[in-house]
Amino acid sequence: MSGGIQRRDFLRVVGASGAGATMFGCSTENVEKLIPYVVPPEEITPGVATWYASVCGECPAGCGTWVRTREGRAVKIEGNPGHPVSGGALCARGHSALQGLYNPDRLAGPMMRNGDGFVPVSWEDAEAQLVDRLGAAGGNVLLVTGSDGGALGHLFDRFTEVTGGTRVEYEALSEAPLRAAARIAFGRDVVPAYDFEAARFVLSFGADFLETWLSPTAYGRGFARTSAIDQMGSKGRFVFLAPRLSLTGQNADEWFPIRAGSEAAVALAMAAVIAGEGADAGGYAELLAGFDLDAAANSAGLSTEEIADLARRFVAEGPGLALGPGVSGQHRGATGANLAVLVLNHVAGNIGRSVHLASPDQAAASSPYASLESAMGSMRAGEVAVALVHGANPAYSLPPAAGFADAFGAVPFKVSFASALDETAHLADLVLPDTHPLESWGDSHPRPGVHAVQQPVMRPVPLFDARATGDVLLSAANALGQNLGAGDFQGYVRARWQEMGLAGEDDFDGFWREALRRGVVFSATDEPEDAAELLSPDPAVGFDVPSLDGDQDGLALVVYPSSRFGDGRQANRSWMQELPDPVSKITWHSWLELHPATAQRHGLREGDIVRVGSPHGQVELPVWPYAGVREDVAAIAMGTGHTGYGRYADGNGVNPMVLLPAESEQASGGMVHLATRVAVEPTGEWRKLASIHGSGHTQEDRNIAPAVALADIGHAEEEHAEHDLYELQEVGGFVPVPADGEPGDFPLPGAQHGEYDPETTPRWAMAIDLDKCTGCSACVTACQAENNVPVVQEEQLLMGRDIQWMRIENYFETVDASHAGPVDVRFTPMLCQHCGNAPCEPVCPVFAAYHTPDGLNAQVYNRCVGTRYCANNCPYKVRVFNWYEYSDVPEPLNWQYNPDVTVRGEGVMEKCTFCVQRIREVENQSVLEGRAIADGEVVTACQQSCPAEAIVFGNIRDPNSRVAQVTANERSYRVLDDLINTQPAVTYQRKVTFHEPAAAGH
Amino acid sequence: MKGKRTAVLAGVVATLGALAFVQESDTPQESLDTAVEMAVVEPDPLAQPIAFPHDIHAGDFGMDCQYCHFSAERSVDAGIPPVATCQGCHLVVQGRNNPEEVAKVRDYAQRQEAIPWVRIYKVSDHVRFPHMRHVAPDESGEPRVQCQECHGPVQEMAVIEAVNQPLSMGWCVQCHVEREVSRDCAVCHY
Repeated sequence: MSGGIQRRDFLRVVGASGAGATMFGCSTENVEKLIPYVVPPEEITPGVATWYASVCGECPAGCGTWVRTREGRAVKIEGNPGHPVSGGALCARGHSALQGLYNPDRLAGPMMRNGDGFVPVSWEDAEAQLVDRLGAAGGNVLLVTGSDGGALGHLFDRFTEVTGGTRVEYEALSEAPLRAAARIAFGRDVVPAYDFEAARFVLSFGADFLETWLSPTAYGRGFARTSAIDQMGSKGRFVFLAPRLSLTGQNADEWFPIRAGSEAAVALAMAAVIAGEGADAGGYAELLAGFDLDAAANSAGLSTEEIADLARRFVAEGPGLALGPGVSGQHRGATGANLAVLVLNHVAGNIGRSVHLASPDQAAASSPYASLESAMGSMRAGEVAVALVHGANPAYSLPPAAGFADAFGAVPFKVSFASALDETAHLADLVLPDTHPLESWGDSHPRPGVHAVQQPVMRPVPLFDARATGDVLLSAANALGQNLGAGDFQGYVRARWQEMGLAGEDDFDGFWREALRRGVVFSATDEPEDAAELLSPDPAVGFDVPSLDGDQDGLALVVYPSSRFGDGRQANRSWMQELPDPVSKITWHSWLELHPATAQRHGLREGDIVRVGSPHGQVELPVWPYAGVREDVAAIAMGTGHTGYGRYADGNGVNPMVLLPAESEQASGGMVHLATRVAVEPTGEWRKLASIHGSGHTQEDRNIAPAVALADIGHAEEEHAEHDLYELQEVGGFVPVPADGEPGDFPLPGAQHGEYDPETTPRWAMAIDLDKCTGCSACVTACQAENNVPVVQEEQLLMGRDIQWMRIENYFETVDASHAGPVDVRFTPMLCQHCGNAPCEPVCPVFAAYHTPDGLNAQVYNRCVGTRYCANNCPYKVRVFNWYEYSDVPEPLNWQYNPDVTVRGEGVMEKCTFCVQRIREVENQSVLEGRAIADGEVVTACQQSCPAEAIVFGNIRDPNSRVAQVTANERSYRVLDDLINTQPAVTYQRKVTFHEPAAAGH
Repeated sequence: MKGKRTAVLAGVVATLGALAFVQESDTPQESLDTAVEMAVVEPDPLAQPIAFPHDIHAGDFGMDCQYCHFSAERSVDAGIPPVATCQGCHLVVQGRNNPEEVAKVRDYAQRQEAIPWVRIYKVSDHVRFPHMRHVAPDESGEPRVQCQECHGPVQEMAVIEAVNQPLSMGWCVQCHVEREVSRDCAVCHY
């Protein structure tokens, strides 16, 4: 381009510290090369996405995925709509798998110990060494793996068989007590499957089923379908009984803040009440008949009447569904607690209705901690010559008291298959990096009759010379003279599927291709769904409130799995570190949850750093006062405080496991998590919390998230405060429209100037149902992945420079740990509202913020000069600014960037675009095909990802579109619209409460 | 990076998206590589690795542009022909005029190496130009825009060059105005 420097160029250059020369268009100063394919791959068209079906490997739940690839690299993961577990949605951790794939801390190749460090070694040498050691081990081989029910798990078993060793499955978040309870109650060694949609009254004794428990995406969908108000105006009820109100608990209608460890007492008391009114209690009839309700109520801190009333409602408002304590409630009587909940389900008639034993959750099955405990005994005793670790990081996730490092150190030759060094790999002698699940073959069978293929979606990232562990084991076995039936793991998976006879009479090759295309196939399950018989109680399993270590005046320590990091394996991902915790909205570091009254008693304010000590260890971390924990409880999330996991994980937060004893529960062998009391003492230090919540989780009377009582639905008063604003018309303003108006009431901005044709142009709009939203934050990470939203890290966040386009506000309206009662937390996903009368637009001096004909509030990055006037004038705080070149990330994290979306540079304002690239893609396609855009064809990233199906997007000018119909709901409102007449394109549907909400809707 | 930062809001990846002719490999899994190399080349920065005569192919032989630029009708990218496409003819066609240049093609093919063509046409990184919206036929069956309208009389060029094509926004918008199609910013900038 010729013609000297333009004004806008000049501003832009100044904005970038005056460095360099301007260069536009077809400059010849820098020559770019076009590198074509040598031979074009058949399924790749440059510029067009290719999708592959696969399986998510981030937790054992086994969600089916669709992975979007561009020119051979994975750029986005979405749920496979045909897969019964994911149902098209995906959680935040699932999205972050891309940062596992492109993690800059992945190993460049195999590593061998050399003194205190590692040296690179070739695969040939590494494998030869492995084979030598295995050959010389004389059968003393120990294989520690994560839970894997597919072909890889099968291969692990075969491999240990032929090498004469033993295999131990270890999952830090194990449901061993639940499995043991099912065995004792019904004689079935399974983790039951729970059908939320079949229930109208859900009762959770602390199970965090929206966060980490068993299958959170599937349960999130089922829960939203049953708990949100339906067409008939009916709504399922959810009661949460636990000492800490987790994100799952915040979605409850009522909270019974029971004393830690008293779940069994409450569940049995409820069962006793129901059985006392004639319900069948099987083998527990006698126990329940003589059950002391008062003692139970007393141990939980409730009244007998409260328990009896809850029990009666549980049956009357049924079908019910009771869920046992999850990992955070695994105490020394965890099996008893789970058993009591199963008994409650039985007497309430839920078995076979909402609780299924015949089609169990196979994905959650793993062996308990006790088996690793005994394996550590063997290691210490010198009985293990070679230890192999895959898919587990016990050196981090076990309490140090377990002495894993010492036991592991006693093994002469230790091999880790970690793809990046973790705490366990740091102790190994040889590290053979595994390929990432997105680069590997595999399969999963999450439920009986459901089979999914995990296929590689791209060639392994060439920067990392990794090999699939399946391939390594097969070739090692081969070298040892053992043929395991296939030369490589791909062949092994295929052979397994052939063996299982899934293809039936069909040609296997054709069946296999179809399986790869769909990602999931179904087979008939022959087991009938019958109601299981409740066996007699096992005298070895008690129901008493368990003992806790430590000073009895201390606070019961709740250590709960993080919904961002699970057991800690997602910690080295900047997306997960920067994702605000769904409860506290804190990023990057750890915090201690104390009840405000407890904090006050200790003289502590928010941010005071305290020393938390148990008989087993101590940690230091800042306090976040939270009314959602009992006064006698302190709570810390798992997953943080890594010491050797990578640049984003190390040094952030603390690992609460150091406070716990290394103890397995008697009945099930499961790890005990709720085991100790802690003393809290101030250190005198203070830090600012890296929280994105600006207003202390309160609405400050702004009515951002109003609610409506169920009883008021159907006769809401016709009142629209907007009437006051009509006078604006006189000065050229827009006509305010009611939020629940007809499609025609949504004027197309600019139409009055004759510029835009309201007849032919769509107006894109969104509706978000706050009665469905669970606050899980999957949308936040989905948006980050889709739109190249950068990560700014802790220091910037502390200055309020958070940059996510979507944030979920959580307002604690009613959260009271002092007694049982209603709980009311309002989740509000806040994104650019694409106002019809947008305050950001007129203040932009360079016309970078403006309105498009199709109703988008657009931000033209190349116009923006970074005055930030628009952000200052935005009442929703959704415009974010690139203070630095945040997009410069270590290679190959940048490979994830979506090529359809501009990567923003320093000094540019950005915000939600309503996924304009997806709108354009659909527009292009519809024009090529000579047709109109169908309703529902444009799906935004947040909408696509939402397990609760809370988000609807479409053209609101089409009265038949779903978004127009949802918007016409009487619960609709637009945030702050009545105050400032912004006329957003986003409408929210009020949350519906059973009680009269404290701040009633306007 | 500094020089780039001043002018190019969109970073490396937008460049990838705009280009996306990546491969040096031959299986679908092996479809990764850097798309763009930025380097200062002396003395003639626009010298192509092979003297490919567009006039002979598109002019004398009347080959359709999309025989080689295969994805122009269905993708944002027009597509740069894989070496295999060249070989489709040049396996047998020796090249009467420039056999030594044709031999270079064969050498690349033999070495399984991609030909590093020098890029002549490039809209700025912050612009989205979907080829298919311009090239795909309209209701009458004719391309909405002839390739030559933006790329010049390529069928007459012995050496490809950008002739009187500023690829500037005013130039794009002028055409959009004449044809009464969208002039909205967010059609191209997002």
